[in-house]
Amino acid sequence: MSVVDRLPGGEGERAALIGGACVLMAALFALTPLVVALPSALYVFFEVAILYAVYGLLVLGLNLQYGHTGLINFGHVVFFAAGGYTVAMLSAQNPFAGIGLGYPWVAALVAGVLVAALLGALVGATSLRLRDDFLAIATLATAEIFHTLFVNFRGIFGGNVGLSGIPQPIAALATDGDTTLLATLLFFGGCVAFTFAAVRRLTDAPYGRVLRAVRADELVARSLGKSAFSYKMQAFVYGAALAGLGGGLFALYSGAVAPGFFTLQVTVTVWIGMLLGGAGSHRGVLAGLAIIMGLRLLSRFALDVTPVSASAFASIRLIVIGMILVAIVRYRPAGIWGNAEELGVDS
Amino acid sequence: MSLLAVEDLTKEFGGLRALDGLSVSVDRGDLVGVMGPNGAGKTTLFNCVSGIVRPDGGAVTFDGTDVTGNSPEALARAGMIRTFQLTRELRTMTVRDNVRLAATDQPGERTLPALLRTDAMESREREVDERADELIEAFELAHLADEYSANLSGGQRKLLELARALMLDPELLLLDEPFAGVNPTLTRDIADRIRELNSEGMTVVVIEHELETLTDLVDRLVVLQQGQLLVDGSPETVLDDERVVEAYLGG
Ligand SMILES: Nc1ncnc2c1ncn2[C@@H]1O[C@H](COP(=O)(O)OP(=O)(O)OP(=O)(O)O)[C@@H](O)[C@H]1O
Ligand SMILES: [Mg+2]
Repeated sequence: MSVVDRLPGGEGERAALIGGACVLMAALFALTPLVVALPSALYVFFEVAILYAVYGLLVLGLNLQYGHTGLINFGHVVFFAAGGYTVAMLSAQNPFAGIGLGYPWVAALVAGVLVAALLGALVGATSLRLRDDFLAIATLATAEIFHTLFVNFRGIFGGNVGLSGIPQPIAALATDGDTTLLATLLFFGGCVAFTFAAVRRLTDAPYGRVLRAVRADELVARSLGKSAFSYKMQAFVYGAALAGLGGGLFALYSGAVAPGFFTLQVTVTVWIGMLLGGAGSHRGVLAGLAIIMGLRLLSRFALDVTPVSASAFASIRLIVIGMILVAIVRYRPAGIWGNAEELGVDS
Repeated sequence: MSLLAVEDLTKEFGGLRALDGLSVSVDRGDLVGVMGPNGAGKTTLFNCVSGIVRPDGGAVTFDGTDVTGNSPEALARAGMIRTFQLTRELRTMTVRDNVRLAATDQPGERTLPALLRTDAMESREREVDERADELIEAFELAHLADEYSANLSGGQRKLLELARALMLDPELLLLDEPFAGVNPTLTRDIADRIRELNSEGMTVVVIEHELETLTDLVDRLVVLQQGQLLVDGSPETVLDDERVVEAYLGG
């Protein structure tokens, strides 16, 4: 598809409108005495949906990096963690262990995004000029290094228990727990919608054309006067910043961060979601993520009714996810909503 | 003054001297052919000049400035555009987007104007569309405009690459074997186009190892052999030169 055909971009505008509506409704629930009562059976759905929104920010960033620019980031979780831990360390009051400076959460959130972006810029500066696979290794290694740091530096990061005492602004504003849950979901959903609108605009514009040219053939892009390195750097940093935003929001929702929230599992989930939905398609990657997280939720219920142990069940779940991946690679290499010709895969 | 000057250019690939102290210059408005047997160093010359390969020694001067070792993107922005011997179309992009991509001065290639969808971006994009469609039309690719370029034939790819290069309105156009694998009719068409561009003032350097096509087209021929300059002169003198005959027949 060409830029002009994309330009009207009704989808991006719709997303921005939906985002605005979500945030307004979130404000309504958080700031007024209005309350909702949720059936307790729905709690688990709300919790998963909130996590989905957080991961949604991650997958949109990853899609900008991989789906549009061809950058392989196997350590996306580290930028998520950078946002989460920065917010925690700057804003926490009397954390159980580690640093907590008690600054206002807004400042901490901004700092969280900036720190994640900066980390992205550092990783990018070391490996984006080298061959493609260097980035894959560098990101994977960075994620491992930070995970080890979080676990081992108790005095700073709180070790395995992590940091608690992080302010929870929505909970503080809303009247009760149920209302908090709904307002949080609405607000996070609004953030995803705004992000969707932004990345959509970016990739619909001539900017996106350059990103896709870099993905297709960096040398051609350069020979036509486009600074491939600069675009790769930008896409990488934007993706990292979005993950940082996700991490910061997550910390402010849960009130605590710990290494267990930021494992390789997160990277794997967003990658599978992206590939399943179709790299390159913003809507596709969000839908793919919904499928994979939906399956995981479903399997939670399935565990209650199957006569196998929890650990056996966990392996069965892995096997099922593995089989889904194999099926995509075999039958729809471009993902469910991906464009095979734009991704250059045969299907 | 010459637009492009190459002085004492040297490039080695693991002991093999692809360029061996080559000096040659191209004046503004010239239409120069570069020929020579396989492995003579023609493509390496283009690679060194266009910043894709860094020469081991020597200097490249473009429009009066030393550009040795400059990046391809900087050289492209300065007005030097090259095509590739093995076409490098962006396979995952449409023909139209391939051509549009090459547009210069598009503010929408920066984050903020792209996010804000500024008027400057939109109006530039309208010009870009118009110009791209003109070129696509001129190279008889209009029926393929929305086709992904992976689906093009060899000859169509050559045309696409040429159209894309022209989108930048270069001062110096370096064409690496634009006729290879192209049928005779198309070859004549492309040659006519090149002549036309040159008569409009564009400086063009064409690599080709088929003698016939080149001698009809260019004003001046440069013959390379083993990374060195063998002969440099008008097509007639070059063809009569016995060293050239020997290089081709003996080579
Ligand atoms: N990147 C490279 N690495 C190693 N050797 C190279 C490289 N590029 C070129 N060469 C060698 O340098 C020599 C000159 O190659 P070049 O491609 O410049 O020749 P050419 O004149 O363009 O030949 P042709 O007519 O076949 O295109 C050849 O022997 C080639 O094998
Ligand atoms: Mg060659």
